[in-house]
Amino acid sequence: MRIVIWTGAALFSVMALGFSGAVRVVRAQAPLAQAQAPPAQTGAEAHLSRGVQLMQEQLFEAAAGEFEQAVALNAKDPKARLQFAACLLSLGRNDEARKQFEQVQKLAGGSRYVTYYLGRLDLLANDYASAIKRLGSVAEEPPFPDTAFHLGVAYISSNDVAAGTKWLERAVQLLPRDYRVHYRLARAYSSGGREKDAAREYELYMQLRDEHKNTEKDVRDCSSALRTGPLATAREVCHRIYDPNDADKLTLLGQLFGDAGAFGEALEPLTRAVQLDPNSFEAWHNLGVTYFRVDRYKEARAPLEKAVALRPEFYGSVVLLGATLYMLGDDEAALPVLERAHQLNPADAQTAAVLEKLRATKKKE
Amino acid sequence: MASRGVKPQPRGKPSGLPFHAHFTDEAAHAGLRAPVIYGPPDRMDYILESMGCGVAFLDYDNDGWLDIFLLSGTRREGPVEGATNRLYKNNRDGAFVDVTAKAGLTRQGWPCGVTVGDYNNDGFEDLFITAWPQNILYRNNGNGTFTDVTEAAGLAHPGKRWGSGCTWVDYDRDGRLDLFVSNYLVFDFDKIPPTGKDPNCDFKGVPVNCGPRGLVPERPMLYHNNGDGTFTDVTERSGVSAVKPGFGLTAVAADLDGDGWQDIYVACDSTPSWVFHNRGDGTFAEQGLLSGLAVNEDGNEQAGMGIAIGDFDTDGRLDVLKTHFAEDTAALYRNTGRLVFEDVTIRSGLGVETRYVGWGDGLADLDNDGLPDLFWVTGSTFPEVERKHPEFPHKTPRVLFRNLGGGKFEELLDAAGPAIAEAHCSRGVAFGDFDNDGDLDILIMNMNEPPSLLRNDVRGGGHWLKVKLVGTRSNASAIGAVVVAVYGGRRQAQAVLAASAYLSCSDRRLHFGLGAAATAELEIVWPSGVRESVKNLRADQLVTVKEGAGVVARERFRS
Repeated sequence: MRIVIWTGAALFSVMALGFSGAVRVVRAQAPLAQAQAPPAQTGAEAHLSRGVQLMQEQLFEAAAGEFEQAVALNAKDPKARLQFAACLLSLGRNDEARKQFEQVQKLAGGSRYVTYYLGRLDLLANDYASAIKRLGSVAEEPPFPDTAFHLGVAYISSNDVAAGTKWLERAVQLLPRDYRVHYRLARAYSSGGREKDAAREYELYMQLRDEHKNTEKDVRDCSSALRTGPLATAREVCHRIYDPNDADKLTLLGQLFGDAGAFGEALEPLTRAVQLDPNSFEAWHNLGVTYFRVDRYKEARAPLEKAVALRPEFYGSVVLLGATLYMLGDDEAALPVLERAHQLNPADAQTAAVLEKLRATKKKE
Repeated sequence: MASRGVKPQPRGKPSGLPFHAHFTDEAAHAGLRAPVIYGPPDRMDYILESMGCGVAFLDYDNDGWLDIFLLSGTRREGPVEGATNRLYKNNRDGAFVDVTAKAGLTRQGWPCGVTVGDYNNDGFEDLFITAWPQNILYRNNGNGTFTDVTEAAGLAHPGKRWGSGCTWVDYDRDGRLDLFVSNYLVFDFDKIPPTGKDPNCDFKGVPVNCGPRGLVPERPMLYHNNGDGTFTDVTERSGVSAVKPGFGLTAVAADLDGDGWQDIYVACDSTPSWVFHNRGDGTFAEQGLLSGLAVNEDGNEQAGMGIAIGDFDTDGRLDVLKTHFAEDTAALYRNTGRLVFEDVTIRSGLGVETRYVGWGDGLADLDNDGLPDLFWVTGSTFPEVERKHPEFPHKTPRVLFRNLGGGKFEELLDAAGPAIAEAHCSRGVAFGDFDNDGDLDILIMNMNEPPSLLRNDVRGGGHWLKVKLVGTRSNASAIGAVVVAVYGGRRQAQAVLAASAYLSCSDRRLHFGLGAAATAELEIVWPSGVRESVKNLRADQLVTVKEGAGVVARERFRS
């Protein structure tokens, strides 16, 4: 058994990223894996990784700065530019975002993701004809589940209620729990004189909206109970969030327990969350962090490997996977992972020190 | 109030078109120098201290010149010397004289909203004021004085309530003005923790006053005018009480669906706004959601503060503008008929402005080009925040969007005179032509400052027409009438409102900018249901139309 030596900045930064105190699950749309990247330069990768972390924390201004530097260092890397563009869109800097997306298109060729984003920018610019053309071209094989929603909105905005209704009907199939979609569809039915259908959708909208509000309240109550009361009481309060069939709520519950240091409580909801949604980076990452925090390194490995596969640029997952492998004594596996972590964040002195140690050991062997 | 974190849309290229309205703050010159007191000047420990109050343009002495009524609050620590609601009489020379004491209107408390209307049909405008903990009805005695008749009229309610929005409305078409009152929330200084005492009450990490979320929402009230100076509470009977509680603020009554019966729209703060559809049988059905006016286009409730009613696309239907908190847009709703509204905020160009907390608003033609513009005042509710976050200042400028036609608007940051860009912490606003020169001036309540009186000087030669209605079968104030002006190929609808903007009341004379059109026609639907039309009216005059008698007076103002 190794002695835990990873008590410095690296580990704490991982924890901060994993359990950032956010009260909702953030599903960042990060199509990085889709773009073909040339060999990365070290500095650019570090900025890119830092930007991804900042995006995860919803610090978009700071993230944009990192992405901008990554792009400046490696102007031909569509990955960094795509992230930069998406970040600018989040900031509402739509004209700049459009320029960056168009650059990505030039660098990497046609991409459903870029087309989707350009379509959304068209919609925001009230250019409905272009939005319909772009979003329509990717709607059959949508890059994101809300593609049909935005296409429906574009049609409605251009006064084509029939086509808008068709796509919004498709959208509620893809996003059945999103109250926004049901509300838009209800409005579309109202405009088309389909009062009975509208009433049904309004009902669903209100039900989902109430659920959403109740969840917000439950989250506030849970956070407060975890902060102020004994765990036994908090457990009862927080259990109101538990929904065995809702991966987002389960991930959220795991995050809340994790934020409060109640790692034992976090395991069950997070385990259930990854079963329900195997593509949830947040759930896998937080499950890995939780196992790590309760010293169950063997069980931490697989979730962290999954998280790294889903977000290879996310320093927090990579460094924690390296630390896990190191704790398991698998130095051979740990070395390249930590090298990758160091590449993503060269400023992390602790990782650098451990790397040096591992390299020295390897040299001796 | 809550921020929704909405990012502004990018601004397009300026149109470069000249804007012919020019605003200058004339309050000091006009004699409006007394500050409007409302809570401490540098902090707002309780939500009651942060919400401010309304203002009114009215002609209380029927001399044809607009007078001013300003609500004013107090401080929790104790009465403030000289603080009172104030009535200013128009001297007809650009100045006003304070006649508060003579009028019997001296009072200090926590007033909120004001609605002006002739509830006893004696030819003089009366005042109803909402307040915490008790509302007030002042009857205009017709001799320059007012009498508090709240108790005698049966309008005193048991216990403490925070009356907020209020509007006169003849909901049953009996020719008498009834009264709708919205209540904000259950408030008690002794039961709500002040700033800093509840860790859950913060904004951007800064402790601020608590509410409205987390506090107890309220229901509105409706009073029927018995015709003998008294009112009966018909909240239950009318169905108004059936609404789910909310944080109700500004209430506006108008016939929104054109069925001849007055509907009521209430801006609710952080809860879905209400639309009370008048069924025509003495009862209302709440149809906020079905109408599209309860929430924004994504189905999210907003922090509804002020309401403006007008016809921005000149299609002859009444549209709606509602203001909200910072990091959110105001909402512009287009009336598509049958009480169905479409949220056109983003496509109209309003998405560029999300910086300020918006309050009193207007949908009014400020430059007489024939197209109604959008205006609202702003100001923070959390003065403590700007020390840590300078991007959320306490005092902020006014917002003006000029109407470009085709459903598009353009924000004017500095093209409409110095008074638009000046920063204040404002709440109520009223629109009216106080100097009778053929345009719309603007009266603004500023927290713990004197009010602003924005004199408008319109150039460019755009024509205008003012319409004053006098009811006979309808209530004398003609509140609830809808006038469609037909000019230059346009049909612009306006309603005679007893309250609008934020808890305020504007000039009852309707003002139509006509642009290049030298004549106009009027189609009038009186609150009684009577329809009347007036043909071939020359521009640039005030016409008085009496119900059933047509035009009874014409007045040309000095230019």
